This record gives sequence, structure tokens and C-alpha cells, in this order.
Amino acid sequence: MDPALRAAATGMMAQQTRTQVIANNLANVNTPGFKRSRAQFEDLLYQTVQGTQVLGTTDAFTNPAIQVGRGTRLAAVQRMHMQGAIDQTGRNLDVAIEGEGFFQVQMNNGDVAYTRDGSFGISDQGLLTTSNGAGLMPSVRIPDDASEITISPTGIVTVRRGNEIEPSEVGRLELARFVNPSGMLSLGQNLYAPTASSGMPSIGFPTEEGMGRLQQGSLEASNVEIVQEMVEMITAMRAYEINSKAIKTSDEMGQIANNLTR
Amino acid sequence: MTSAAASLAMLERRQQVLANNLANVNTSGFKREMVFAQLVGDAVSATGTRVDLSEGTISQSTNPLDLAIEGEGFFVIGTENGERHVRGGNFHLDPEGRIVDNSGNPLLGEQGELMVPPKGTGALSIDGTGMVSADGRELGRLRVERIAANANPLHEGGVRFVPDVSREPVPPMERRVKQGFVEESNVNPMEAMTQMLEVLHRFGAAQKTISTLDAVRGIAVNDLGKPV
Repeated sequence: MDPALRAAATGMMAQQTRTQVIANNLANVNTPGFKRSRAQFEDLLYQTVQGTQVLGTTDAFTNPAIQVGRGTRLAAVQRMHMQGAIDQTGRNLDVAIEGEGFFQVQMNNGDVAYTRDGSFGISDQGLLTTSNGAGLMPSVRIPDDASEITISPTGIVTVRRGNEIEPSEVGRLELARFVNPSGMLSLGQNLYAPTASSGMPSIGFPTEEGMGRLQQGSLEASNVEIVQEMVEMITAMRAYEINSKAIKTSDEMGQIANNLTR
Repeated sequence: MTSAAASLAMLERRQQVLANNLANVNTSGFKREMVFAQLVGDAVSATGTRVDLSEGTISQSTNPLDLAIEGEGFFVIGTENGERHVRGGNFHLDPEGRIVDNSGNPLLGEQGELMVPPKGTGALSIDGTGMVSADGRELGRLRVERIAANANPLHEGGVRFVPDVSREPVPPMERRVKQGFVEESNVNPMEAMTQMLEVLHRFGAAQKTISTLDAVRGIAVNDLGKPV
């Protein structure tokens, strides 16, 4: 098969994958704490059809090598951990992180996962949980007689108990941050797991050691921007089209060559 | 007739290279290839491909391990086949804490591989001269090299280049390393498209030349010898 046809076909496949990634971003335009992804490509191995030729006695008279590339391939799908917009919700158990860091979540199987989605709830045992019921780490217990839960920018959780006038501290939220957050593994449900590529978590209190600050009564919106995704989709479609044109041109050239003998 | 045939072969080669350029229109760090043709005797033939090292658009990604270089220069990575040049790209950490590319090849610093302490490192910053620091502690400076303006590096795939003999380190003051940015492919789809059309039409013309010459010879062979 003509290498031009194959190279153009890899180009079409690459644009198809890119469109899938864009479609997933667009589907999550309203998911709190969602981070958009981007497909990364790299070129395939090159065929050196003819090596560098030395024509004269000195190196000055050389012909460069003829190299023909074989197309492109998907190298990685990378998550872009840019800050999303902070939306006011007014609900006192919605907490947004402004800046770096993830909340730590204890999953059912005992593993620790990380999330930026701070739409918390209270479990039947009075523990702070994420919206899908996984407990926060370190665990924060809200007493039964508590009212007026406040979460400070530095993570201190205070409640007013019974008829007391002075609020009492019931726990402090911690954040974890990573050297390379885009290397984390997406688990779905807004959760991420650390990998070798992301590095190990470094844990601290909000606003300390470069951690972000917390904002109660707000949620971090998805960082997907519809306009940007639309532009990406248009370029993906055009690139798909242009690769199909390369296939068509190669095909027409084959046809012309076939017409050499009548 | 041989010259027309040689030009068919040259145009086919050009089409292959154009198709590869177009396939890599979204590959970050990709540099387009150009085919050069030369008259050899009476025939035009492809005599070489050259990498066009002109700079692609640099776009922001905000990922701390996305690196690009503004202006000339290459990062150096260590592969099984020796050192290779890359224009940048998206790097990540491997289990040992080295900074590696998508194929797991380590990015090289002036004192060899850079190790990021795996535990307790919060933020990694890389300044314009390529100095990598973790939480304000310097880990080492990245190697940035350039090659002579007339050098022709070979493509190796994975956006890697085989360094030319003219390679030399870029002094730290002349570097413009950008953290959180990626360099896009320098393929201009519009230009590639017009070149492809040109290839197609010239291919058709060369084929017409061959069939015309064939018809002329056909007349010479079949009609001239005919008894009147």
C-alpha cells in the first residue's frame, strides 16, 4: 500500500480520537471540579529511503538523506488542571478550592482517592462525605446537635452545638497536592488516583505551603470552555477533512499512473 | 521519456512527505519535512528531504511539565540509541522520580538525569534558563543545545531528532525555556493543501508527456514501416 495513504489514514484516526476527547469535555461542561483533557500526538518512525550521499571530495558536496514519515499516533491524553470558575451556591456544605490541592477521600476498598469536587454531605454517622458517599480524610464528625456549620478558608470546621453561643471546632480539612497533577489516573465520579507519573501526595492545611484556600458556599465549576472546545472541534474536523483529501490525491495519482498503459 | 518517469517518482515521494506532514498537523513539537528535487542529467529526481525548523505557535497549557523553547534550541533526552534532541513536549515523572517523555526517555540535565524527590515535593518550577527547582531548592539545569543553521537533523519519530555534529550548548543567558507551554506543529495546512494540488496536476502532466511520447513512438514504429 502507498505510504502516503497509510500516513493520511493515521492522521484521520488521530483526529477521530481527538474528537472523542473533545466530546467528553463537552459532556462534562457542568460537572463540578471537572478538568478538561487534551489528546497529544507524536509522529511515527521515519523510513530513510536514501542515506546522506557525499558527492564531492569535501563534505560540502553532500545530498541530504531522503526521509519519509509514516504518520502520527496518539501519545497521551493529558488532563489540564487549570482552575475552574468559582460559582456561588450558598449551600454551606459546598466548598471550592481556590488554588492548588485536592480533597482526600477514603474509598470503599480502603484506597485513598483525590477530588476537587467539594459538594459535601453528611452521612448517617455524622461524617463529612463527598456527594457519592465516600468519607473525607481526615474524617470530620459533625455532632447530632450541631447547627451553623462553618468552614474557614484555612480548613477549620466549626459548629454551634445545642444552645451554646460560642462555636466549637470539630475538625480541620486537609489538602493534598502533586508535582504533576496531569499524571493522575481518572477514576470517574470526579475522583483521581495518584500514579508514579503524578508523584506522591504532599499533604498540608489549606493556605499553607502553596495550598489553595477554601471557600465555603461555592463550587468550582468545570474548566471546560465551550468556545474553546468548539474551536478545537472545528480544527479537528478540518484536519480530518484535509487528511481525507490527502488520501483522495494519492488515490488519483495511482489512477493516473494506472492510465500509463492503455 | 525517462525524465518524465523520474519526475513521476519524485512527485510520488513529495506526496508521501506531504501526507505525513498533514497527518501531523496536531502533533506538538513536530517540524514539517520538505522534499528537494534536483536535475540529475536530464531528469529531475528527489535528492533529499529537509526538516523545516521554523517555530510553531507556542500555546499555553499550564501543566508544570509541559516545556517549550522560544527561539532556537533543543532539549536533550537519553534514549537506547543515544542522545536525541526534542523541541519540548509534555513530560511526566516516572516511578524513580525522573522527568521523562511519553516513551519513558529521561530528560537530561547538565549533571545527567534529574531526580525529583518523590515524596513531599509540592511544586516544580523551571525558569527561562532551564533551571529546575522543587519547592525553591535547585535540582539542576536542563541541557539546551543548538545546531548550525545549515545543519539537517534527521527525524526519528516521536518528535525526536538525531543531533547533528554541529551541536553546541546554548549559554543560559540566551535561553528562553517556557514552562507550562507547548509548541504546536509548524505544518500549515493551507500551504500543504496547495502543494498537494500542485503535485497532482504535475503528476497528470508528466503522465500525459509519457503517453504522448508513447503515441509518437507508436506512430514511428507502426505507421512509418507500413508498405505504401
